[in-house]
Amino acid sequence: MERAHQYALSGYLIALADDELILGHRDSEWTGHAPILEEDIAFANLALDEIGHAKLWYELAADLLGEDKVTYPDKLVYFREPAQFRNMQLVELPKGDWAFSTLRQYLFDAFEALRLEALSQSSYTPLAEIAARIRTEELYHLRHSQAWVPRLGLGTEESHARMQAALDALWPYAQGLAASLPGEQDLHAAGIVPSSAGLFERWSGEVSQFLVEAGLQVELRSPLADIDRNSHSEHLPALIHDLQSVARLDPEATW
Amino acid sequence: MVFQQEGPDQPVVHNGTVHAPDAELAMLNARDVFVRRPEAVALWVVPADAIFTQTQEELAKAEPASQAASGLSDYYVFAKFSQQAQCRQVGQVQAGSPQAAVQAAIVTFADKQPLWWWVFPASAVLKNESSEAEPMFSAARYKTYKDQAEYPVVTMMRALRDKGRLD
Repeated sequence: MERAHQYALSGYLIALADDELILGHRDSEWTGHAPILEEDIAFANLALDEIGHAKLWYELAADLLGEDKVTYPDKLVYFREPAQFRNMQLVELPKGDWAFSTLRQYLFDAFEALRLEALSQSSYTPLAEIAARIRTEELYHLRHSQAWVPRLGLGTEESHARMQAALDALWPYAQGLAASLPGEQDLHAAGIVPSSAGLFERWSGEVSQFLVEAGLQVELRSPLADIDRNSHSEHLPALIHDLQSVARLDPEATW
Repeated sequence: MVFQQEGPDQPVVHNGTVHAPDAELAMLNARDVFVRRPEAVALWVVPADAIFTQTQEELAKAEPASQAASGLSDYYVFAKFSQQAQCRQVGQVQAGSPQAAVQAAIVTFADKQPLWWWVFPASAVLKNESSEAEPMFSAARYKTYKDQAEYPVVTMMRALRDKGRLD
């Protein structure tokens, strides 16, 4: 792979990994708080899986940059400032109620399933192999979040109202899925990664239909002005502070 | 009720219970609660009220069940052989009622002397589809994890506290 592509791909992968890490952290906030024990365990599992996926992408980015696969991911996670994270705003929003977290997970999982399918066809073999491995787990995530959406959307008056409120709040942020990731144009032209806008079109059609069938109203709002990954909501710094506080107490510690 | 098969040559065994409003969510809950780490090749969920159980003591007092040949259906037969052992699958019989299924099991599996028989209609079982096996069970196989005891967290936190950096 050309050097310019190596560098571009490392930036692309760090953005993908940041999405997984931050969503995983939000999922982990349900530990001990989910409405039933089984879902408590399910969300803890989701959190571990997402953070595990982040680790795989950070490690591949480290490889591409000639950095150490063990220490570099920790450096990125624990010692960057909030403004240096490249996750999309959708994943950093506070966990909200359980309808909000479940619906966010669905919207994100449905997009991931498409992106990973495309990435598993990448011309860059190490990327394709990891994408195929992650995809297997993501299909299970999607099955889980997909099972809940219609049950809540068509459930009781309260569950429906909470799902509709969650959708109204999340939908503008979900439009951020259409935005290109760092380095995407060049990498897409080289057959290494898919076009986010292309995936978004498929996602939008499939997801809108599924949500309508789940009794929810999808508003066709215009995208947020601020959907690029360089800007964050006020919620990210607090999350990063929580995430990094122990590691920063003793940066030299061996865990 | 959740049943799990750990390998292709292993019996299906009863593993525990999950709460769920329907079979699909029971299946998902069963996966999350029971098979994230341990090995599995198959997972079954059965509504608790579809399972008919009889102990040896109950059998001794029971009236003989009618073995009318009309309306036979398939029943899975499970048995528990000791208080510690998991209830495991011994086979399948055809019968017209759960009581008749236990009677048929006693005849069919005459060499077995379990403490309890469990029978349930095959139609009450939701099994994972084989196409779902990979997403449901692969995580347990590929993931490495560190046992809690291997983390020196307690020692480290104590050392930090001694240094006065944690209160």
